[in-house]
Amino acid sequence: MDLQKLKCVVVTPEKAVLDEAADFVAVPMFDGELGVAPGRLPIIGRLGSGELRVTQGATIKRLFIDGGFVQIRGNVVTLLTPKAVFAGDINVSTAQTVLRSSKPETTPEAQEARNKSEQRARAQIRIAAKSK
Amino acid sequence: MANTRALVKRRKAIRNIRKITRTMELIATARFKKAMDRAIEADAYTRRLAELAGDLTSSAATIKHPLLEKRAEIKNSVLLVMCSNRGLCGGYNASILREAAPHLRKMQTEGVNVHLELSGKRAMAYFRFQGIAATHAYSHFEDKPSFEEVDVVASRYLADYIAGKIDRVDVAYMKFTNVAKQVPMVETLLPLSTHVPESRRKTVSAAAENKGSVEYEFLPSAAEILEEILPVSFKIRLFKCFLDSAVSEQIARRVAMKAATENAGDMIKDLSLKYNRARQAQITKEISEIIGGTAALK
Repeated sequence: MDLQKLKCVVVTPEKAVLDEAADFVAVPMFDGELGVAPGRLPIIGRLGSGELRVTQGATIKRLFIDGGFVQIRGNVVTLLTPKAVFAGDINVSTAQTVLRSSKPETTPEAQEARNKSEQRARAQIRIAAKSK
Repeated sequence: MANTRALVKRRKAIRNIRKITRTMELIATARFKKAMDRAIEADAYTRRLAELAGDLTSSAATIKHPLLEKRAEIKNSVLLVMCSNRGLCGGYNASILREAAPHLRKMQTEGVNVHLELSGKRAMAYFRFQGIAATHAYSHFEDKPSFEEVDVVASRYLADYIAGKIDRVDVAYMKFTNVAKQVPMVETLLPLSTHVPESRRKTVSAAAENKGSVEYEFLPSAAEILEEILPVSFKIRLFKCFLDSAVSEQIARRVAMKAATENAGDMIKDLSLKYNRARQAQITKEISEIIGGTAALK
């Protein structure tokens, strides 16, 4: 196998979003970002919501990923996620309304759900702003 | 002899019907292709998820999870019946309801409190006629069910199941095996029997053999990831049910409309024959009348 190139595959239940070669991939894990260069050891991990960067030469593709799993094996990075959106297609206004309408919650579960949705919205706005 | 005018009128009406059924057949064919493509795309996800789960189980110890445990006593259960929103698809809805209704009765005689949930207007109409109330009814799942919509329903089931409000989830739907064969069936989705569907198992184990086992690094830990995978695999299975039923519905409609178009063609032929005979008979009658008239004048 070619050691110089990574292959990045992103699939959602609805469709295969991305399947292409890359020099470097930055994956949003549940606890922070994970940079993947060719020749990485196999790993299985949980994803958080955040930005996936696929670098190929001088072009960088940015995607918003909303949780899921990642599997890296033999230079193939596979991301399984319920939702993946290209940075250009992110709907900023809905994310902003989510942020604006979010209120403090009383129960811990509701609080956690609120934090998650806020985090998700912030990540979307950030990624959309970067890609402009 | 039949009235020629009435025959012409009927023939015209049937021609119009044939036009409609043929168009519906074409539309169903196009929709079926789209639905099929979606199902294939979803298959890629399930396959990779199964691969991942296979790799995990080979390296992680056996785990216990509430979603996997079969409960000794089933008090509350959910039966989700998936039908179509529209008719004109042959025996599609009837065959699903024929599976669902006995299952519902059987559960009720066993003393289980069944929460009936319906998807599709046809199912709602049927159970309303039967006088059975449904706890939830959805009619927004058309031929393109989106994962987000299914996710809402699936998350509610998971939450209720873990909270102990329900002990079992069954789905009555049309399982898609291939283009020529779809089977109506009732499937138990919760508790999860295996986190990998039986048919996928073989391909996974075969794939594992080919690649040989790989030492993985896990983030966070294998057991934690496996615990996360179980709810996702339930969601994807429910999503697959929706996709299957969408594909099956279009196939059923295509077949029904094809038969209707053919029947209309046969009927038009039959009516044309009758019309020609009636016309011929009328002409003969007129000629014989004229001949009779001239003969009387002589």
